[in-house]
Amino acid sequence: MTDEMDLVSKLKDVESLRPEAYERARNALRAAMADPGTLRVKETAVQDNGFSSRRDGRRRVGTGGKVGIGAGIGVAAAAAAIALVATSGTTGSAVPAAAAGSGATTGTASRSPAATQSPLVTLAASIKANDHTAGDASVVIQSQRIGGKTPAAVYQVFADDGAVYSAGSLSGLPAAITPAGNQGGNSYDADLKVAILAANGNLAKARTEMIDNTSNNLGIGLSPAAQKADWAKIDQADKELYKEKDAKGTPPKMTAQRAQELADNYLWTNSFIALSTDNGNPLVREGVLRLLSTISGVSVAHTTTGGKATLTITAGPEVFTGDGSQVVVIDANTGTLLSSVSNSTGIAQSVTTYQVYRVSLAALKAGKLPSVTDGASA
Amino acid sequence: MASDAELIGRSLGGDGDAFMEVILRHEAAVGSYLARRAGREAAEDLLGDVWVAAFESRRSYDQSYSDARPWLYGVALNRLRRHWRSQPAEDLVPDVTSLATGWDPWSSVDDGVDTRAVLRGALAKLRPEEREVLTLVAWEDLTAADAARTLGMPAGTARRLLHQARKALRSAPDVAALLKDLNSVKEAHR
Repeated sequence: MTDEMDLVSKLKDVESLRPEAYERARNALRAAMADPGTLRVKETAVQDNGFSSRRDGRRRVGTGGKVGIGAGIGVAAAAAAIALVATSGTTGSAVPAAAAGSGATTGTASRSPAATQSPLVTLAASIKANDHTAGDASVVIQSQRIGGKTPAAVYQVFADDGAVYSAGSLSGLPAAITPAGNQGGNSYDADLKVAILAANGNLAKARTEMIDNTSNNLGIGLSPAAQKADWAKIDQADKELYKEKDAKGTPPKMTAQRAQELADNYLWTNSFIALSTDNGNPLVREGVLRLLSTISGVSVAHTTTGGKATLTITAGPEVFTGDGSQVVVIDANTGTLLSSVSNSTGIAQSVTTYQVYRVSLAALKAGKLPSVTDGASA
Repeated sequence: MASDAELIGRSLGGDGDAFMEVILRHEAAVGSYLARRAGREAAEDLLGDVWVAAFESRRSYDQSYSDARPWLYGVALNRLRRHWRSQPAEDLVPDVTSLATGWDPWSSVDDGVDTRAVLRGALAKLRPEEREVLTLVAWEDLTAADAARTLGMPAGTARRLLHQARKALRSAPDVAALLKDLNSVKEAHR
């Protein structure tokens, strides 16, 4: 006997949120916990204040609804970076990643690009040649451990045509590959497109676009006068925010240095999102490495992880406006993401490991699963 | 295993991991709650705000309740209301039931009738508080008492609203006809 509650309850089925959305939400919480001084503002404040925002209102960690005191715009906190550990056998000294980057702010003029070229740029240039994988899709298994808790794994398939599928287990992936299960066309597409743009040669343009994938009022690419006008509006908004919230002290003024720090933060965060979203795509890997090479606060070390040659990429506190760091380990030959670890004061460490397998989408749909390493098939 | 209340208590003492554990327990449920009412895209944008709001207001949590989920739904509802207020009218989803997918009981009865529209119309005619209680019970599997916690009302009020909502649905001619046909089909197959 069906009753009215049965009818209504059967309408409860809804499309699940994507795994990365949960992670992003957790990161927003971590950022808030790490910054007790963070102020909450009216949801529409940033969009309604007349700034010459160069993007739509898509919000990211720390933007839109939350504004750090004096930040003018939110900061994608260090916690936004999920990361790995895998630090065994570090060899050699770290090299500033930005030595040869188009947007580099470090390095000396006396160095020739050939002598100082970032390992990231060197690797980026060889990824295509080293990529011998076949298939038309990638299975990406992320296993995340937060603060020593039991790791949680998510299983996703990224097809080369842009389709994305996910399941709660590896064996659940074939059934998830349906037209209705396609989660492609999501908000991360913009980051992926910019990464590919960077791979295809227009690094300066890609750098600006990747920064602007976080809604901001930094005025990147505007004339100095227009940029200064935007910053004045940010300063004024901060003052009003302090007054509204009866906060003590005065907000820091927007300066060229602060704008650079924020731009680096957005560039790092969005690039890492692209890398961790579609890591099986060699163009994405190449483009991301090129983009990361332009950040002065990023250093790179040649390391060995589990007997495999790796690069350990460290984004220091300057990339997170002074608090936090992220360490990312990638395969030194292919650029494949292996793990990432983020640290921020007062926040549980988040450790994520990645396994990436190239597959044929049709074969996977038919039930042919990739052979994964221990513990990944749960 | 520590209860949600214990973990929230610990978080008030500075244990951020404890609060994160609460979030990990309920994130899927709260994510779905948001998605049913605002759509997946908006839900993904709102979820982080919900966690931050919950963290900031955790001091108000009544630790006599071990399960924090009804409270988290309440925090989420507040964020949803702010979200709805901030949206242009033309961007608002006309009715929460239009977001549900994947089920059409009428297909086995009469392909010419849109079951979803029938239910949407019936739910739209309910008073907002009746609809809230009904959907918290039907979609989130809460008891009427837990729905009362979410909505900040006495349990007796929630039970009354649920009763009224069910009665109104049963009385709606289209819903009544749908139920009659569905049950007739089942009877015919016995």
